[in-house]
Amino acid sequence: MRFRVRHITRYKYASRVSHCYNLANVVPRDTDRQDCLRNRVTISPQPAVTHKRIDYFGNKAYHFEIQKPHTELVITADSEVQIKNRDHELDLDLGIAYGEVGRYLRKHNSRQAIQAREFLLNSPMIESTPALADYARPSFEPGRTLKSCVSELTSRIFSEFTYDPAFSTIATPLADVLEHRRGVCQDFAHLQVGCLRAMGVPAKYVSGYIETLPRPGEEKLVGADATHAWVAYFCPEEGWVEFDPTNNTLAGSQHIVTAFGRDYVDVTPVKGVIFGGGQAPVLEVSVDVSPLEESLAV
Amino acid sequence: MPNPTSPLSQIQGQASAAPGLEYHVAAGLLDDVHAGDGGVKPQWQYLLNSLRDLGPQALQERDQKIRRILRDDGASYNLYGQDETGGAAWELDTVPYIIGSEDWARIESGLQERAELLNLILRDFYGARTLLRQGVLPAEALYCHGGFLRPCQGMQLPGEHELILHAADMVRLADGSMCVLSDRTQAPSGAGYVLENRTVMSRVFPSLYRDSHVHRLASYFQRLRLKLSSLSPSDEVPCIVLLTPGGNNEARFEHAYLANYLGLPLVQSGDLLVRNGFLWMKSLDGLTRVDVVLRQVDDLYCDPVELRSDSRLGVPGLLEVARTGRVMIANPLGSGVLENPILLKYLPAIGKALLGREPRLRSVRTYWCADDADLQFVSDNMQQLIIKPVYRGSGLTSVWGGDLSAEQRAQLLANIHRKPHQFVAQERLHKTHIPTFANGVLEPRPAILRTYTVASETSYLVLPGGMTRIGAQPGEGVISMQSGSPSKDTWVTASEPERDIDLEQAPDIQRHEDYSALISLPSRVVENLYWMGRYGERAEAALRYLRTVFVMLNSEQPISAEARKILLQAITQITATQPGFMEASDALFAKPDEELLLVIKDANRLGSIKSTLNSMLNSADESKELLSTDTLRVINDLHDELDGLDYTMAGGLVSAPEEALDPLVTALVALSGLMQESMVRGVGWRFMELGKRVERAQQIITTLRSLMVPVAGEADQSTLLNTLLVSMEVLITYRRRHRNRTGLELGLELVMLDPTNPRSLLFQLEALQRHIVKLPRADKTRGELEEEERALLEAVTTLRLSRLPQLLATDTHSREELDRLLQQLDQLLQDFNSLVSDKHFDHRVDAQQLVTTFWGEH
Repeated sequence: MRFRVRHITRYKYASRVSHCYNLANVVPRDTDRQDCLRNRVTISPQPAVTHKRIDYFGNKAYHFEIQKPHTELVITADSEVQIKNRDHELDLDLGIAYGEVGRYLRKHNSRQAIQAREFLLNSPMIESTPALADYARPSFEPGRTLKSCVSELTSRIFSEFTYDPAFSTIATPLADVLEHRRGVCQDFAHLQVGCLRAMGVPAKYVSGYIETLPRPGEEKLVGADATHAWVAYFCPEEGWVEFDPTNNTLAGSQHIVTAFGRDYVDVTPVKGVIFGGGQAPVLEVSVDVSPLEESLAV
Repeated sequence: MPNPTSPLSQIQGQASAAPGLEYHVAAGLLDDVHAGDGGVKPQWQYLLNSLRDLGPQALQERDQKIRRILRDDGASYNLYGQDETGGAAWELDTVPYIIGSEDWARIESGLQERAELLNLILRDFYGARTLLRQGVLPAEALYCHGGFLRPCQGMQLPGEHELILHAADMVRLADGSMCVLSDRTQAPSGAGYVLENRTVMSRVFPSLYRDSHVHRLASYFQRLRLKLSSLSPSDEVPCIVLLTPGGNNEARFEHAYLANYLGLPLVQSGDLLVRNGFLWMKSLDGLTRVDVVLRQVDDLYCDPVELRSDSRLGVPGLLEVARTGRVMIANPLGSGVLENPILLKYLPAIGKALLGREPRLRSVRTYWCADDADLQFVSDNMQQLIIKPVYRGSGLTSVWGGDLSAEQRAQLLANIHRKPHQFVAQERLHKTHIPTFANGVLEPRPAILRTYTVASETSYLVLPGGMTRIGAQPGEGVISMQSGSPSKDTWVTASEPERDIDLEQAPDIQRHEDYSALISLPSRVVENLYWMGRYGERAEAALRYLRTVFVMLNSEQPISAEARKILLQAITQITATQPGFMEASDALFAKPDEELLLVIKDANRLGSIKSTLNSMLNSADESKELLSTDTLRVINDLHDELDGLDYTMAGGLVSAPEEALDPLVTALVALSGLMQESMVRGVGWRFMELGKRVERAQQIITTLRSLMVPVAGEADQSTLLNTLLVSMEVLITYRRRHRNRTGLELGLELVMLDPTNPRSLLFQLEALQRHIVKLPRADKTRGELEEEERALLEAVTTLRLSRLPQLLATDTHSREELDRLLQQLDQLLQDFNSLVSDKHFDHRVDAQQLVTTFWGEH
């Protein structure tokens, strides 16, 4: 599948911003599952300096500095992404048993295994507390395959938590999400990452997009039209596997990854410092993901 | 009392041969001074003999002298005014720590090796991370540390060194070897105090210092300067700045001292900004490009865009400029990762992997709770261990297991089990004791030594000496900078006199001062000099006038109620402490003492003498690095006089209250004198002059409007004129010139129009004109006058065109012509003031974070 993604971030300020320094993570990265074929970031007003680089996590980071006074900042990211994998059913009975994961990570000195250990530790927004472990534990049995454990955890989060945009903000602590069983995709992703780490399974936070329009005969996915979030866990011998707890599904041909990180802090779509701007800047985000006919793609 | 530094006192000391200065160490304490056979080790002999000869009395005097010098240098002044949070006074012990040169050679090579090893580790952590891949260091040891800054991945400094500065805290063990307790790799503090301590000691003990053949410190700082220059990405003369967090703390003294010694501008976050992908300093000539930053700010606080977003101490966008190689930062951002105590456990293994051998210099034995065996050991032996957080910024503190109750230990252990990665435990080392002079005798104290190392060409250079800290009591206990433990100078002594270092290359403070006159100053510093000039003049004018009024009110010739009212109202006007006497009752005019006292000593009342002087001292503090030692001494005197004001005024304005104000006036006059005589005529001086002249001109105008505009009876008029002339210091000139002209006219001429009177209005305006054309300006060829020059020209011309008889003529009880002229001049001066500050000073807009509040919503 090939997609065209347009991600627009618009900030409206109450008063003039004299200059600003920003860092954006708005362009899909390359992964085992996808190639970003082309991308273009357009910023209004015109920045004085821009700089693209690949960051520590392999994401595409975009730095810019604006010196023109402005009351509106618009960042438009246009990308074209090729998804390599086809949707398939995961065979939950194959692969390493959950009980083997810890020893594998301790003994195995492959580059990937060592790197994965970074994603077992606490990160700025996720502390793997006993409460998270308690929640996750019923799904994890040593003799069961890791895949089936994670899959069940994903389903439980999907069915036991209510999607409620009114409940949380960026600053809502994970403990509140767990207690009230509500939140949005970002909270569910953080929650599942925390649960997995608490159970000794390396887990990443994934930011990205999902296809906007439902396919024929399917329901529209939650999280379309906006930036979305899900998780990736490390499966020994196989690599990183992505699950979407908000939609109770494997990340498939409809999931486009922007960035991997330990949590939201590592992959914040747009952050930075502005001078001026007054109270409470207003943020509008729109995302449009449309499939390209293979024949039309260049 | 004989001068304690004179040979005479040494002879006297010898004669008295005081028994008090023998040095004994109780059994059971580790002793650095005595050898196993009880004899004094060679390196200590000369010092202890000299101290014994000196005797307790003389040593006490030298101790006092040390305190005085530290205070005069501003190193140990307790802070004043609104900000009482300042650090403890800097304390320097009279007895230096002596290290023999052979012993030192071993320490030195150990430190060089350690710095080289840490340098390789730093490069690996932000590069290939082979130490993790080869399993030399568990991956979690790096990943769990809050100082590992992922945005710094792949950044490198030019040359062989990533780690430019390294400091290590060490103690000496029973076998005489040194053992490192911790490494400091961000912005190691204390090197400035090492310099200050050395300067003080060499002054207080000149002959002892000279005859001890102490290794000099200068080459360390010279290498630091050279290394910083070599980092510059630019081909031109590099602009290197010292970035300080600012604020009134003891580090502030050190940063100013270091900046001066190295000849670098001292800047705070607000003095720097990122533009067009480069780092700039806001200076008077506009923006000056910065090539190298010597940072004294912790790395996490250096850039709110990519690091801690709530930091006010950093520069937005700095990390990105460093990443693109357009500015170099020493130590580089991210170097705090080396302060991770887990590394101490693995350093021998890392040494083998990277250098092919275990490092010679030992580290304290360290247990990491994420290691199963270590955790078991820590659980079993908690009472004998110090439990430390892995990351200093984690909000956790170190505890000594022996201090904890069983319940507390269980609690701590539970915490450790929850976050095993975040805790290490260390054995508690017995520290060697060295002598200190306390309670009139020499007593043993445990000591910690902090050493300093700087990258230099292909290796590292170690500062010969360092910062020694001693405990408050013999035995164990916490010793740290924060807990205010006394410091000692550290003398590395040579058996032979050290050959003189190449003077051509030695950093010469004088030369740096000349150099610093050429380089641009941050606008903030200049603005503070301007306000220092203004506040100083404001306080002086108010003091002079108050003094005069006190004399008038208490003079043998009683003055009329009307004159009394005018005199007192002028106080309110001159100090701008309205309402004060402006709409006062007759009762207040009859008994003005209480209000007068408040005008002098109420620090919370804007415009009072105390509040104005506090503002002046704050401004002086912000521009400290430009002030000479003598100036700092006078400033200290001012602090003391201000503190003493409450005491001298405690009984009210009883007798001759003007005398109580004299010392303040004297100190302010001394300050003005120093500005004239010992300040380089750079932009800094010009702005201080500008501030002073603007203020004096405005004070003259206010005084004239208060005293000369009202028309009074003949006797009163003479009282008022007298007051004016005394407070303006022209009474004597007036008397000499007073021949056949009317008093009022001559008086006005002297105060307003006499270009030779340095306290006349015209003199101030003409001085302003001379200074303003010397300020940096964008377009030097422009013929058109700048706005601020126009305001001055108009003021000077209006004043010179005025006719005194016309100004004085009136048929009402107010001289309206005079008042109109003075009002006009006052307005022009206000315009001038705002034009100058708009043009040259920084007007910062507040920064804020772009907070994302919508996420995944639709």
